[in-house]
Amino acid sequence: MQTIPIPQVNPLPLPGPVWLFTALLLLVFTLHLVAMNSAVGGGVWALWNYLRGRHGGHEYSRRLAGELAGMLPVFLAFTVTLGVAALLFLQVLYGNFFYASSIVIGALWLAVIPLVIVAYYGYYFFSDQVSKGTGIAGCALAISVCVLLAVGFIYVNNLTLMQNPGSWLGMYRAHPNGWNLNLGDHTVFPRYLHMVNGAIAVFSGILAVLGLRKMKTDEGYGRWIMQRSAVVFAACTGLQFLFGMWMLLAIPREIVLALLREPLAGAVFGVALITAIAAMLLILLGSMAPRPAPMVQAGFGASLLTVFMMVCLRYLLRIEYLRPYADLSALAVKPQVGVIVLFLLLFVGGLVTVGYMLWLVARSGKAAVGTAPRTAGASLRS
Amino acid sequence: MPGGLLIALVAVPHVFISHFAVGGGFFLVATEARARKQNDPALLAYCKRHSKFFALLTLVFGAITGVGIWFTIGLVSPEATATLIHAFVWGWAIEWVFFFIEIAAAIIYYKTWDSLPARDHQIVGWIYFVAAWISLFIINGIITFQLSPGRWVQTQNFWDGIFNPTFWPSLVARTAICAVLAGVFGYITLPKTEVREKVSRLAAQWIVAGSVVLPLALRWYMADLPKDSRAYLDGTLIGVQHALRGGVMSALLAVIIALVFGWWKPRWMRGPVVAVLVVLAFGMMGSAEYLREFLRKPWAVTQVVYANDLMASEIESVKAKGFANTAKFPLTSDTASTSYGEDLFEMQCESCHSARGYRSMARRADGWDPEFAADILQHLSAMHGTMPPFAGNEVDRKALGGYLAGLNPPWQFTITDANRAEIGGKVFGSRCGHCHSINGKFRPLRGVFEKQTANQVKDMFPVLGTMSPNMPNFNAPDDQADALAFYIAQEANRPLPPSSNSQQMPIGNTKSQMTMPARPGQRGPQETRSWFAGAEEVR
Repeated sequence: MQTIPIPQVNPLPLPGPVWLFTALLLLVFTLHLVAMNSAVGGGVWALWNYLRGRHGGHEYSRRLAGELAGMLPVFLAFTVTLGVAALLFLQVLYGNFFYASSIVIGALWLAVIPLVIVAYYGYYFFSDQVSKGTGIAGCALAISVCVLLAVGFIYVNNLTLMQNPGSWLGMYRAHPNGWNLNLGDHTVFPRYLHMVNGAIAVFSGILAVLGLRKMKTDEGYGRWIMQRSAVVFAACTGLQFLFGMWMLLAIPREIVLALLREPLAGAVFGVALITAIAAMLLILLGSMAPRPAPMVQAGFGASLLTVFMMVCLRYLLRIEYLRPYADLSALAVKPQVGVIVLFLLLFVGGLVTVGYMLWLVARSGKAAVGTAPRTAGASLRS
Repeated sequence: MPGGLLIALVAVPHVFISHFAVGGGFFLVATEARARKQNDPALLAYCKRHSKFFALLTLVFGAITGVGIWFTIGLVSPEATATLIHAFVWGWAIEWVFFFIEIAAAIIYYKTWDSLPARDHQIVGWIYFVAAWISLFIINGIITFQLSPGRWVQTQNFWDGIFNPTFWPSLVARTAICAVLAGVFGYITLPKTEVREKVSRLAAQWIVAGSVVLPLALRWYMADLPKDSRAYLDGTLIGVQHALRGGVMSALLAVIIALVFGWWKPRWMRGPVVAVLVVLAFGMMGSAEYLREFLRKPWAVTQVVYANDLMASEIESVKAKGFANTAKFPLTSDTASTSYGEDLFEMQCESCHSARGYRSMARRADGWDPEFAADILQHLSAMHGTMPPFAGNEVDRKALGGYLAGLNPPWQFTITDANRAEIGGKVFGSRCGHCHSINGKFRPLRGVFEKQTANQVKDMFPVLGTMSPNMPNFNAPDDQADALAFYIAQEANRPLPPSSNSQQMPIGNTKSQMTMPARPGQRGPQETRSWFAGAEEVR
């Protein structure tokens, strides 16, 4: 029987089945990760290419940085939006652990808010100034990327700490004002590096697909993007194995063994390894092929599947960490069926609405290639 | 930093921007439609420029501070947050769907002025506004639930919680505020072109339209408030009165500026005037949020979770077992620890009070000895109606009482005829003023002590603890008792000006805070009873 003080579970019953909250958490967290990987990995790519392209001679780099500049604030917007949903469902299932760890690192946890605001405005500033090629635009981008990397470090600290209740009291007593980091946990650094390196890898995969699309209008530029990103993707995916191994070694042995003894976790881990290797080979070999599209697209699909598998494995690992303290199957459940149905309908309706708006944008893009439509700003130019 | 202050620092700026995010969206798309209908390119150019400002402010600062509220309430009131999550997770999830649409629409609207056909661009704008307003609709349900859960307390039904007694008036009031803020922020990007006057008058119309609806909606809202909350508005708390007056004054001044500078003389609407207008609007919003939070005291979720994050259902159990034996993280169970009293302060008081700072307990507990402090903790809920009950057993009370009494050095006076009344006033503020005034509005003692001498007053002190279950025992040193009796007798027999109109309830310990006269006609048998009736008058 554990003797570590764990905040009680809220006495109100869960308003839906645990499996539904789990499924939603895994889904939105995967989407959040893809958006976050784009915001962080895209920032690293933009910075590298902006610096490379500033002094002439690297036209493609300059062009890519310019194109990424407009996307970065959008990536960050969806990182936050999807992160809110993941945070919501995490609180439903593990609120009592998450709140406690957040309190222990409270000052740093609160710092996430101003830090993200700084990074966000930095991205907008870069987007606004990129065409001028100024040093200050590069500085803004560099600051934004560094700040987002710091935010990621705070997140890793909190989410590792929430599954280590034994550390809470000592850390709280050491710094009750919340200036704590969970550095006593040996998994923090490998996990953080795994996340950051993974972000660069996944966004490189996205860039490879973007390169494919660019090839349709500008063969040289598109192929340049695709081949560069494929090499980075393969290199980062290779590094992921090293960081992953480091993390496995850093996790307490009994937890790793318990995790791998679970058939589901073993299967998820196995699939993740296979899809990661497949993604690496497909994208790398595809980028060198005369007709790269099928292999690169398949490789990108495999990389997304790897992300989802890793999200599932991460969740199963959390269950193992918290097994002595939490049993989700024992929670009282009283589903709010009508509201759940309403949510699911509205969720689909929301996707349709966003899809409709994107269709409007895509339609106007196609129309612009043919005739000149009367655009929203058309009369501004008249 | 007390948790309430932390939440306010994040929440008030967020609420200010998020209401603009709703109203400003409507303002933008309606102005765009008007510009197109009137074929006015300059007005359209204003819309485009304003949409950039709108996107940068709402998508970044507005959205991230909204997440910031989640972060802060999770730190300050995890139990209340968990309650809202468990009761309304599907409401939050639905709200998230509309938030997602809102963000996507805002980005598309802002980025596609030069690429989308006019009709499609306006469709995206309307989608934005509808999604933003529905977001407000749902969050309004959850926020008003915190104050007036209504039938939910019995049924725990989702819809009973959302459509609670203050839902509709609050929704109308918030929608009106959205309109006001749309107009106010409309001035920030006021163009220097030929449409300057047109935009200025348009923005003024939005401010005035919202300001016409707002007082009616607030009147409706106040009528539907829970009884306890209405009592605060009726003048029992000075902070509430100040916030109310401040909010009303800010709103009135904003309307006057909108009419004079915005409508009548648009060319006068320059940067400094716009800045004043924004500050006034922020003051109005801050006052409204302060009032909304304060009217809910002592609850975070009425009838369910207290402001200090203790569940109402657990209070009796904690009193019986002791806090350490029911403690949540991060309290240790070591009741013998010298820091145990401070631990209890952190757990039960720090959500609203600091030791020496905002809502300082050092100031409030000045003059307390450990015995009195431990005793008065039994009567917290009898104070102003704003305090949750103390959750703990005798050991806990003594530990926290010792900590509170130790915040200040013990009082030592040399009492003379010259300073007797002043010191009596200090003692009154320390020992009586948290629950009573003498001639004020809140539980005045004049009816009890009028026409009594200082000696007669003093004779009552030893039996105070037996007069009502809500009265602590009196144990002040004899010299302080003398001074206190002198002060009470003097004040209770002081003639009152016939037109006096007291609104103040003493809480501090300066004499000036205790000598506000009562309104004639408010004294009498009813108020005399209230002295014995504990919290009943206010609650």
